[in-house]
Formats: sequence, structure tokens, C-alpha cells
Amino acid sequence: MTLRERYLRITNLLFVILLAVQFLPDKVSKDPKTAYVIFFAVGVEVIVLLISALIKKPKDLNLFLDIIGFLFGFLILWTLFTAKFNLLKESLFPAPGRVFAQFIEDWRKILTNIRSSLGIIFQGFLLASAIAIPFGLFIGWSVRIGSAGTYISKFFSSIPPIVYIPYGIALLPTFRSVSVFVIFLATFWPVLASTMSGVMHVDKKIIDSAKVLNVGRFTMLFSVILPAALPQIFIGLNQGLTVSFILLTSAEMIGARDGLGYYVKQYSDFGDYTRTIVGILVIGIVVIAISFLFNKLQRYLLRWKS
Amino acid sequence: MFLPLLFNSKVSRLSKIEIRNLTVDYIEKNNRFTALKDVSFSVEAGEFVSVIGSSGCGKSTLLSILEGIISPTQGSILIDGKPIHGTGPNRGVVFQHYSLFPWMTARQNVAFGIKQVKKKLPKSERLKIADEFLDKVGLEHFKNKYPSQLSGGMQQRVAIARALAMDTDILLMDEPFGAIDAKNRTVLQDLLLKLWEGNGTQEKKTVVFVTHDIDEAILLSDRIVMMSENPGRVFKEIPVPFARPRNRTELVSTAEYGRFRNELLSLFYSDIASKIGGSEVVL
Repeated sequence: MTLRERYLRITNLLFVILLAVQFLPDKVSKDPKTAYVIFFAVGVEVIVLLISALIKKPKDLNLFLDIIGFLFGFLILWTLFTAKFNLLKESLFPAPGRVFAQFIEDWRKILTNIRSSLGIIFQGFLLASAIAIPFGLFIGWSVRIGSAGTYISKFFSSIPPIVYIPYGIALLPTFRSVSVFVIFLATFWPVLASTMSGVMHVDKKIIDSAKVLNVGRFTMLFSVILPAALPQIFIGLNQGLTVSFILLTSAEMIGARDGLGYYVKQYSDFGDYTRTIVGILVIGIVVIAISFLFNKLQRYLLRWKS
Repeated sequence: MFLPLLFNSKVSRLSKIEIRNLTVDYIEKNNRFTALKDVSFSVEAGEFVSVIGSSGCGKSTLLSILEGIISPTQGSILIDGKPIHGTGPNRGVVFQHYSLFPWMTARQNVAFGIKQVKKKLPKSERLKIADEFLDKVGLEHFKNKYPSQLSGGMQQRVAIARALAMDTDILLMDEPFGAIDAKNRTVLQDLLLKLWEGNGTQEKKTVVFVTHDIDEAILLSDRIVMMSENPGRVFKEIPVPFARPRNRTELVSTAEYGRFRNELLSLFYSDIASKIGGSEVVL
């Protein structure tokens, strides 16, 4: 790629505009904390320039620059509509600088909330997967119980897990245990269903090749059927993880004392919409980060697929 | 010619593989379909026997019974004098398709096969043997590739390496080169011939090889078992009269080869002609 292709891009132009816009006169009563936006924009631009210099494929560079371009464009509009022209209601739509400032002020609290939410999700999700996968392998492999199991797990996975919450509250002592219980159910049934369907759809030729190698029952289940069914199993795991996030943040808005959902709900109750926006953005970032890592894991474990 | 042998089998020495009166019936949509009818023949230790016939003659069904994947409706198979029940560690198999596990590299596939027959062998030893056999089939640079990264011919090389590395007495091959393009097929046939004939010092494996390719059967085997369809049965057993070690180009250029091949073909088509009830078969 030529220097022009690397650095003379619309994204870099948007960065300059974003910076220029910050120096227009403010029209709001509260301090829009413009310095934070400038600091953020310069930080992102430094990363952009570094990546532009290092990236090898033009296609990857385009994707990256397009995403950052959207970010800069959004920030320009946000700044203009709030701090500079005051077109939106100030108390509901804080200037971007205020949101960045709030994030920096609250970051310890936010981290605690992230830790609390992720702790519950991983506990419920991992426990459910660790039980549902071996269970699904055994049931799916047993021809007779297998087909009955499919109907039963279909029935249970069709129940929206959120309806378990009130019952869970009656059954269990703490908010944390209720959350783990509901996330467990939200993950268990889809993973069980997808594992069984994966096992029952393993190519007969693969099973025959394993049979003629004379593998034992354990090796058949865990070294042959499990990896062969893994692409299907991941469908259930993905579903479980997505639903877990929705469930947990909703549950946290109902009755928690910490967590990301609690953060959003509590501050919007107090009319602190700067913090509400911070919470919403943080949830987005956390979910994106987790699904990115989960995708990486999936790609690694299924690297043998063409 | 084998009937007396069969009747005297109580007194005479048993062959490596004794296939006795196999009959297989399938029930399909309430119709009884006989895939094999009263199939009997035997295979000596160290013998290479090809089973040929048109598609639908039950040759693959026969091999599936030998593999132990399906059970016959009637009849039995004895290996070393003992009846077989299901699969066993004395038989290695190469299928036409998909016999490799797609989530294992070539090396892991071979090592996995070795592990099933030699459970006590340490992992490093298994990998060493796997490498040795992958070298033999010419895949030294593809050991760490997954099957999806290999061509069909290369995948079959891995399957052959696995079957050989497992070092079973018996090799069962079900049209192993059937899905491979013509050029690679000859290369693989020559490779199999070379590996099976060896250098003359080690004991040869007993091979049952299913194919529909007459030239392949002649090149590779000591004896050809011809099957006919509807119902599948043994139609003729013909010993292949060519000396070993064999060389494709030399063998094919001889007059005897042409004569033998024509004889087989006319046998093959006389069977088809009798089935369709006339002698006028347009080829």
C-alpha cells in the first residue's frame, strides 16, 4: 500500500473536523469538559496511525478505518447537537466530554460492577455447560432415550428463562444465587438440545471409521462424538451466552445491589443520565469484548473446519 | 474348486479368513431385499484378494460384515478359526470416503489409530511410528495439515498410512481409490502395490480389496472373486497368473495381460447377458 492509501483517508479528515469542532464556542450552562473529548480523540487517532502503519491487508485497514470513521462522525454530531448548538435537552443529553469525564471519575466503581456481573455469568454459564455437554453426549448417543430427550429439551428451551426469576426469588436466599440459577437454566437447555442434536447428526461414516478402529465407549464419546458435534454445540453455547447477558442485566435492574444493570437503573432513577449513558456504553463494550473472546475460542477449537 | 475344500475343512488347515454361507436380507418399505445370498470363499494368510462386481452386487455389504459394522442374517466369518462378532483389532480398514477424523491432523489421525491397537505404547513412540508411515506414503511435508487442507488423494494416503501403521494382520479396503482422479489413482495403486509387496523380508498382510475396476484388480491381487447381483453371490473365483513383484508398465504391455483381461471382461459380461436374458449385449 502506498503512503496515500495508508494515511490520506476520510477517517483522518473526520478526526481533524472533530478536533476543530471542539474549539467552537459552547452554548450550554454546564461545563461540557471539552478537554476530555480532545484527549480521547487524540488517543484514538494515535492508535489509528499506528495501526495504519502496521496493518498488512488493505481490506482489514478499510474495515478498521470505517469503524473509527463512524465513531468520529458520531462524536462530531454529538458535540454539535449538545455542547455547541444546544439543540437537545441538556439534562437528558449530556455533552460527550461529560460522559468521558464521568467514566474516568467512576472507573473503579464500574470495574467492581463489571466483576460482579461477569462473575455471575461465568458461574452460571460454565456450570451449565459443564453439566449439559457430557449429559447431552450420553443421552444423544443412546438411541432410545435420545429422541425422547430431544422433545423434552425442546420444551424446556422454549420457555423464556426470565419467567424463572420470580420462582427463583421464592426458592433461593440471595440475589446472586437467583441470578446464577436463572443463567444456569438459560444456558443448560439450549446447550443440552444442541449437544444432542449434534450427536445425533454426526456423519455415520465418522462413527463407522471410529468403530472399525475398535475404540472404547469413552473414547468414542469424548474423542470422536464430542469433537464431531462441537460445531453444533457452539450454537447452543452462543445462544446461552447471549441470553445470559440479557437476563442478568434485566435481573440486576430489578433487585440487585451491584452489577452493570444496577448501575444503569440506579442512576437513571436519580435522573443522572450522564452515568446512565456511561453504564449503557460500558455494557456494550463488555458484551462486545466477551463475544470477541468467545469467537476466538470457537475459531481455535474449530480451526480444523475449512 | 473350493467346494471340496469347504467340506474337508474339519480335517484340513483353516484359511486365514473363512467366509461361510453369508446371507444378508434387508427389509425396506416392507419389501425383503436380499443383498447377499449364500456367499462362501476363503482367503489365505498373506494373500491379496480382490472382490469385483458391478454396483449393487453386495461387495460393499460383504466388506461391512468383514469389518464387523453389520451382522449377516445367516452364515458366519471365521478369522484364524474363530468366528467374528463385531469389529476387532486384527482388522484395519480403508474406506472410500471420510475415514479420517476432520479435527485431527494427518499425524494425529495416524497416531490415534495406533493408540487403539497399542494402548500401552507411549505417545512419543506412537508419533514416531505415525511419522514413519506418513513418510512412506510421501506425506512428510503434510503431517500437521488437517484433512480439509489435503486433496482427496492425500487423504487416502493418510488413511492407508493409518491402516498400515496399526499393523493389523488383515487389511480391508472398500474401493479406496474409487473417488480419486485417474492420474492419482494409478499413483496410489503403485504405492499400495509397493508397500504391500515390501522388500520380501517381512510377512505380507492379508488383504480383501473391493473394487469395480478390472485393471486395478489384476494389478494388485493374487486372486479375483467376481460377484454378480440380484441377489449378490460369488459368481467366479479366478487366480491372477502374474509373477511378483509386479510393475504396471511391464505387466500391461504383455500379451498375456491383454488375454487375461479380455477373459475376465467376457466372464463379467456373460453374467450380465444371462441376467438380461439374451446374448446380444451392446458395449
